[in-house]
Amino acid sequence: MTLDAIREKLHARERLSFEDGVTLFRHPDVVAVGQLANEVREGLHGDRTYFNRNMRIEVTNVCVASCLFCSFAKLEEGAPDAHTMKLQEAWSELEARLEDPPAEIHIVNGLHPGLPFSYYEELLAGFKRIKPDVHMKCFTAVEIHFFATHYGMTYLEVLQRLRRAGLDSLPGGGAEIFHPEVRSRIAHDKATADEYLEVHRVAHGIGMKTNATMLYGHIETFEHRVDHLIRLRTLQDETGGLQAFIPLAFHPDGNAMRNLLAPTAVDALRTVAVSRLLLHNVPHVKAYWVSMTPEVAQIALRFGADDLDGTIVHETIYRAAGSRSPSGLTVDHLVRLIQEAGRVPVERDTFYSVVREYPRAALPESAVKVRDRKANKHLEVLS
Amino acid sequence: MDRAIAAAGLGDVLSARRAGAISDDHLARLRAADLLALGALADRVRTEEVGAEVRVYTGGGGDVDARLVAFPRAGEDLTGLELLREIAVARVAGHRGARIRVDWTISGLELAQVALAFGANELAGRIATKRGLAIAEGELAGVGKKSRLESARVVKQRELAGLVERAGRVPVFVHQDLGAAVPDAIRQEAP
Repeated sequence: MTLDAIREKLHARERLSFEDGVTLFRHPDVVAVGQLANEVREGLHGDRTYFNRNMRIEVTNVCVASCLFCSFAKLEEGAPDAHTMKLQEAWSELEARLEDPPAEIHIVNGLHPGLPFSYYEELLAGFKRIKPDVHMKCFTAVEIHFFATHYGMTYLEVLQRLRRAGLDSLPGGGAEIFHPEVRSRIAHDKATADEYLEVHRVAHGIGMKTNATMLYGHIETFEHRVDHLIRLRTLQDETGGLQAFIPLAFHPDGNAMRNLLAPTAVDALRTVAVSRLLLHNVPHVKAYWVSMTPEVAQIALRFGADDLDGTIVHETIYRAAGSRSPSGLTVDHLVRLIQEAGRVPVERDTFYSVVREYPRAALPESAVKVRDRKANKHLEVLS
Repeated sequence: MDRAIAAAGLGDVLSARRAGAISDDHLARLRAADLLALGALADRVRTEEVGAEVRVYTGGGGDVDARLVAFPRAGEDLTGLELLREIAVARVAGHRGARIRVDWTISGLELAQVALAFGANELAGRIATKRGLAIAEGELAGVGKKSRLESARVVKQRELAGLVERAGRVPVFVHQDLGAAVPDAIRQEAP
């Protein structure tokens, strides 16, 4: 299959095959692949490029799973650097930011074996008490699966109880690579691919939106990546509940796969582009700036991505794995990154409703300047 | 590829480039073109004129001749996207077979690698310390302090070779004391 043949399929609105996906990953010309993805992106969203005001909290890094790629988790309470927040500690993170509050709180944790389920219910309820309209995007499908097995409930029961406590949607983490040849080696003791997908299916069944991810750039092949994307596409055909796909670049520092090289910028751009092309039925593809650096994420806005995620404040999982990205960005800087890319910044809520649309850059792309990029001093780090 | 270039309205620019007849009008259209269409055109020109080889200067400088265009240029403060555009325009509108170089110590390794897909064919930057080496810590375990600088060079060269290869290109390290390109031991060791 040639790139021209794939272009014709896209123009005919035919879905791409497994072989097409592998061809796109293997094609020597990443710019040509990016062009195709950009066409699809502009067809869906024009120049609109989304971001939100969000806040990351990891309430515990104690985790019974032993994923090889993880630099964040500690196996047990009391281990060096292990931490579990008291509820008030977690709520204080929001209370401290009420002057410029986030619209969304994104919580992802380790699989802690010693906490009662009520801890998570109270956690959600407490945030809602402080700010009733804040959107709680919490707990990966892997965590939901853990809750179900650990506390003896069905996925539906877990989701319904958490929803009653304040849960609004699920983030996409924990997908890693679905194919068992890879998953059994890097994440053998947590939810399987089928279990991950089933949690999302159940969530969609009760009207809850979710995101999905893929951790790429370690021991997987291009075939494994395409398999992963097609499994997500199949789920989306069935439920329509996925809002966004987020490719996550593997970072090797401080984990059991530290001898591997991190994926390069070209691989990051190619993966964004192929994801956009294969996942025609998922509305949004994110260039997660924490994973790929703000500069490469900005370029990715020309390779198929239409969303930069958000202000984040403050991410710790990627930083533990050696990410050199800042831990948070201001709204002004996200707007500027998008404007510099010749796009139209749109602040959104979690469901992609428009909060505010910003103008295009007042100056042409070539005239917009930033200062001292090398040192990233133009990025005002929030924490 | 040529079809994509034609679809972007740049087919005649490619023909003009091949004929050595780039006009001011062509240049103006290049500057206004969609970034990826421009990149596709620049990559086509790069393939035809200088092939897949990427010369990597690790001493920070390297030989200079009239065909050399180095980025980022002194006094300019370009965004990443602007830099890619300037490189692509230089490839399409500059000297035939131009040596288009990116200093990765200024642009960052990520952007330097992406620039290879927009017409660049040289990388330069001095490897002086182990600081900033993404994979140095693990590689350097057990290496004595006095040997660390040399080991860092080895690791960094391997990283650079990997970046070039993973951009689909062929790295050739240049030994600047000799002023000539010679295959580097690291190149042969790279997986």
